[in-house]
Amino acid sequence: MLFLQVMADGLLLGGLYASIAAGFSLVWGVLNIINLMHGSFIVLGAYLAYFANQRYGINPFLFFPVAGAALFVIGFVIQRLVLNRVIGKTVLITLTLTFGLDLVLSDLMLQAFGADYRKLVLHPSLGLLDLHLVVIPLDRLFATAASLAATCLLWILLRSTRLGRAIVAVRMDAGAASLMGVRAEAVYAVTFGIAAAMAGLSGSLLAAIFPISPLMSGAYLAKSFVICVLGGLGSVPGVIVAGLLLGMIESISSIVVGPNFSTTISFVLLLSLLFFRPNGLFGRRGFE
Amino acid sequence: MKIQFFRYRMAGVIAAGLLAFATTPPALAQTLKIGAPLPVTGALSPEGTKLRQGYDLWLGQVNQAGGISVNGKKYKVELVYGDYQSNTPRAVQLTEKLITDDKVNFLFSPFGSGATKAASAVAEKYGIPMLASSASSAEVFNQGYKNLFGLYTDNSTLSEPLATLVHAKAPGLKRVAILARNDLYPLSLANEFEKSVKKRGFSVVYFEKYPIGALDHAAEVSEIQAQKPDWIIVTGYINDLILVRKQLADQKVTAPVLTMINGPAYKEWIAATGPLAENVTTASWFHSVLNYRSTDIFGSTHNFVKLFTAKYGSEPDFTQASGAAVGVLLQEAIQRAQSIDPDRVRAQLQKGGFKTFFGPITFGSTGIANSYIPPVMQIQGGQVKVVYPNSVKSAEFRLGVK
Repeated sequence: MLFLQVMADGLLLGGLYASIAAGFSLVWGVLNIINLMHGSFIVLGAYLAYFANQRYGINPFLFFPVAGAALFVIGFVIQRLVLNRVIGKTVLITLTLTFGLDLVLSDLMLQAFGADYRKLVLHPSLGLLDLHLVVIPLDRLFATAASLAATCLLWILLRSTRLGRAIVAVRMDAGAASLMGVRAEAVYAVTFGIAAAMAGLSGSLLAAIFPISPLMSGAYLAKSFVICVLGGLGSVPGVIVAGLLLGMIESISSIVVGPNFSTTISFVLLLSLLFFRPNGLFGRRGFE
Repeated sequence: MKIQFFRYRMAGVIAAGLLAFATTPPALAQTLKIGAPLPVTGALSPEGTKLRQGYDLWLGQVNQAGGISVNGKKYKVELVYGDYQSNTPRAVQLTEKLITDDKVNFLFSPFGSGATKAASAVAEKYGIPMLASSASSAEVFNQGYKNLFGLYTDNSTLSEPLATLVHAKAPGLKRVAILARNDLYPLSLANEFEKSVKKRGFSVVYFEKYPIGALDHAAEVSEIQAQKPDWIIVTGYINDLILVRKQLADQKVTAPVLTMINGPAYKEWIAATGPLAENVTTASWFHSVLNYRSTDIFGSTHNFVKLFTAKYGSEPDFTQASGAAVGVLLQEAIQRAQSIDPDRVRAQLQKGGFKTFFGPITFGSTGIANSYIPPVMQIQGGQVKVVYPNSVKSAEFRLGVK
């Protein structure tokens, strides 16, 4: 029973991890920018959901598309006004710029919302799904399902729409895509907007589960980084598999070697895997 | 000629003026500087903000009264703040900077046991008394330092009353699960709990540490559930304890007693957990329902709470009260010493016997307070109630958490 419960915990956690990392991976893969603002975007999405719930009683599971849309606009504007100027520059420049922007965004949130941890409490609570051997909190189940659905939608968008093909084309070769009539700058901005939207909607879903504070952004960013590298840059299926894998590894290692070592075990496995597959599980050589 | 004479006279006047300015003690000489390294940003910033509120309330009261009286002179107090970004090595650097660059006369500690332990080495090197507002682990005070004075009693004074209470009220309970944040204070506290419960015949069926910054506790909660404990004890900080409480409910983990430290004494924790806060027990060194009469600038706990509430719009929790209390202790020691000389002030601190709004404070030989019993509290009806010791209790202890 304990093992089944731990597997269920790991899967639920992994689904959330996948959603956290999807946008981060997309930006890294397409724009070649390591977006250090990603954690703060997630937190901002969580705050939007929190205040929508506190002031207007809106359930975060209904609100998450709105949070995604709001973050899309913010991401699009930031990309057009600021990040577009450093596209194609060295990693150090883009890293420094997003680091600086993250400091600004994080400090603005600290000023606006304070550093206190808040928690969105659903009234009434969604309750639990008791399967006798396994108990599943429905808020986690909904959040994970919605996260995975959004991530799958992103995958479908990339594979089956004109916009998606344009994004993939720019990722593979921006110069060649431009010669074929793709407006690379517009694609960059839309991609960054989509990535911010993924962060925003994940934040909104996470608001029902985790405490909310600007201080959480670092933890989300760290998880995104690990999952992105593990899954392969820019690969949506890679992010889903890596997220689920990381969630399972953390859960199982918590039981086997104790929670204190679960992060260490995850990183050791990550390093071991990268030794054999340096481009991650689904990464392709040349996209890094 | 007349013009030249005038020039000489002017030069003389200016020189005399400069000489007078140089020989008159500047206004700054009447200012007492206290260094206060704070975690303004980073993971501990909520606690840093709370500490500063306590410092500022005390500072306002002292300066409003004209300052601290020493041999007929009034010293205005200036707090020199610095942000160490919740990063212990930076707290150490900042403490050194406060002493060497800002020339502070005395120091308040950084937040928490870990940073205090590290920064106290610097205070000791320069012989500057440091008042620790929020360190309670015995490991902080076992370094043989003479300049570190801790307001909180050691962690066993939190675990012992709780163990006594639970053992007395529910003698049938036997199985205890302990989950601790792997951090100096929470882990030290968890170890004290282990000793306290074992001493009373409980059996510890689960003891695990979780890493700092853990995002999820579902697996630990599943394992705790499997052990079927009667008493679950979780140590950590407010974000950890919000999440653990939520995840215990997520897996329908119930127990006759659930103890969490530090979190439930904060109103933010109660707001964040809602109905799940009910009947959770905790302990801390201060609560606003206490009412000590004091010889300090506040006069009593009641008056301190009144002033704090008027200034900040809510009752103080123990961290906010601690900020004001270290100020009060330092002020009392300086006034008794009638000097700002570190050696004389240190001697007064060592002598102890301070009657403060926080409680009666005397320091043991290691520098940690040993003169009061922190109250045990329980959340009842969304309010913090004191359930032990009997002399100050405001409600009866209840068994059962859902």
